[in-house]
Amino acid sequence: MATGRRYRGGLVDLRTGLISREIFVNEEIYAEELERVFTRAWLFVGHESQIPKPGDYFVSSMGEESAILCRDREERVHVFLNSCRHRGMKVCRYDEGNTPVFTCPYHGWSYAADGKLVGVPFFREAYHGKLDRSQLGLVEVAQLATYKGSVWATWDPNAPGFLEYLGEFRRYLDLTLDGWDGRDGGTEVLGGVQKWLIPCNWKFPAENFSGDSYHNISHRSVDMVGIGPSGSGRRDTRERLVARRLQICFPERGHQTGVYVLPKDQPTPPAYQQSPVVSEYFKHCEEERRRRRGEWGRVTGSPGEVFPNTALHPRQPRTFAVWHPRGPHQTEVWRWYLVDSDSPPEVKDFLRQYYIRYSGPAGLTEQDDMENWNYAHAASRGTIARRYPYTYEQGMGFEVENYEWDGLRLPGSVMDITEAKSSEHNLRNLYRRWAEFMDAESWNELATWRALAR
Amino acid sequence: MSVINLRHLQPGTKIGLADGSTVEVVSNPLDGIWVFARYLSSPRDTSLIGTEEMIFAQDIVEIR
Amino acid sequence: MTDHSDDVAHLLLQQKIESFLYREAELLDERRYEEWLALLAEDVRYWMPMRRNVKFGELEREFTREGQDVNWFDEGKETLTRRVQQILTGVCHMVSNVQILDVKPSASAPSEVTVKSRFLIYRNRVETETDILVGKREDVLHRIDGHWKLRRRKIVLDQNVLQVKNLTFFF
Repeated sequence: MATGRRYRGGLVDLRTGLISREIFVNEEIYAEELERVFTRAWLFVGHESQIPKPGDYFVSSMGEESAILCRDREERVHVFLNSCRHRGMKVCRYDEGNTPVFTCPYHGWSYAADGKLVGVPFFREAYHGKLDRSQLGLVEVAQLATYKGSVWATWDPNAPGFLEYLGEFRRYLDLTLDGWDGRDGGTEVLGGVQKWLIPCNWKFPAENFSGDSYHNISHRSVDMVGIGPSGSGRRDTRERLVARRLQICFPERGHQTGVYVLPKDQPTPPAYQQSPVVSEYFKHCEEERRRRRGEWGRVTGSPGEVFPNTALHPRQPRTFAVWHPRGPHQTEVWRWYLVDSDSPPEVKDFLRQYYIRYSGPAGLTEQDDMENWNYAHAASRGTIARRYPYTYEQGMGFEVENYEWDGLRLPGSVMDITEAKSSEHNLRNLYRRWAEFMDAESWNELATWRALAR
Repeated sequence: MSVINLRHLQPGTKIGLADGSTVEVVSNPLDGIWVFARYLSSPRDTSLIGTEEMIFAQDIVEIR
Repeated sequence: MTDHSDDVAHLLLQQKIESFLYREAELLDERRYEEWLALLAEDVRYWMPMRRNVKFGELEREFTREGQDVNWFDEGKETLTRRVQQILTGVCHMVSNVQILDVKPSASAPSEVTVKSRFLIYRNRVETETDILVGKREDVLHRIDGHWKLRRRKIVLDQNVLQVKNLTFFF
């Protein structure tokens, strides 16, 4: 074992379901996870609809580091480290815009949108024309993938390609990225990415979106107020009275999500009844989806997580959230909201208003979450507190492989919580994969499915 | 000599450089540090005439 | 003798508008939300855009757009009423720099006033959790049935990454 490492096996013990608080609050472990998780995993950086034209850019973040998502003159998409090769200054201090070049304000080095170093002040005089500019372009990610509009990147050249990284989880990611009528892709992001700081470790929100089905009690106050799109509750959830409620995860990949599966021949109950136009739109989409997707059209998503820090919310409010680590005790949340690109303006506007009142720091539901993560983290930092691990035992041993219900097989390791109401199946999966990343020396050890395929 | 604010240089503006060249602004990235320009004359190297280059703020001496 | 009636009308109006804003802040700080809601016109628009850092020359992208983009708040009375029913945290509002930008039709018989002000909101929770938010508001007040009502509020907070974990209060 490498010396001087603070993380050690046993802090995440999935035989007993106990996980040490150290992995949330320890500063040395945090430094290690930046290296071992965030430089090796695929990370969500943005959406193509944010950079439609050549020269468009959106400054994103990968782990703690600033990264520029941009489109070059040949319309190719790139992701670069936002740091000048000369002295490291940010070459872009803005959030988004359009530019032919990224110019470092410190000494004036300037880079084109394809990353090439194109401007070096006094190149002829001070460098005597001898600097090899071709070797000093912006640092580019090792791999980049665009998938149905979403853009992902990794710093590790040895990581598997993005689709291999997803594995069969892709079908669940599609629930967020496909049109509601079941068409491939066909979603766009609304203007405006919400960004805010919460005082807790990034793994608190990551586990919450991975499938914390146990915390609904904390949203009781908003359920009573009624902000749902039909005027009551938080969401339209009537189909859940007849659906199977499942938690599904992929142990080799670290991705997980909740889903609801309707019985065969059961139409989706009406929703969005505050607005006839919206209600009619979704009714039409549901029918189309059943027609296009067949039995799979009975599946609707609930919150999920692409390992390590990208959360999905496929059901309205349809969003991506990224939990950017900002030190062990702080997380910067970025939130993108999606709508069907072809939906009528009334539908987009209705959803936009619903998203705003539901989600984010001013959203009536998620205000509660922020409070809980804040103080759970704070109360776990103490010397005594750290001695007592958290328990993740809920539902251990009740998961099912090759799950099938009413003629539909669902990929992944499945926990049926229709009767159990809750489990920590998906949470364990997140930490199982996290521990593997912390232990493994390279992707050769992490891509375990390759060994099985041989 | 007054300092020229690069952000005010519109395409078509003719500017003189420290080496005696004259260039015409083609486009301005508005970063306050560079402009894209085409060489109209160059005492240093006549082959530059007609070519486009990024011009650094501190190389610009006057608007012509 | 010089006629000061116009000056006096402006002074009185300034006084009335400031009183309105202070009373409004008092109702919020005292958590008298039902009374606060009564100060809002039925068709009130309450809008708080998100801010972006943008390059010189792209200032039109600095704020998210009302009615089109995702904003921190972008809503009417119905949603504001629901917020009042959700748990809100106690804060302390300071209101200053009250400037009347426009009066219609006149200061002596005003029916609509555009007023800009600055706010400082202090929030302390649990033990040491403290937030201070400073920003600008631009309000349109209407005189309806002899009472001033808030018809429109734009809130500008100069933070492109919100420095507080939630917005469980009104500006």
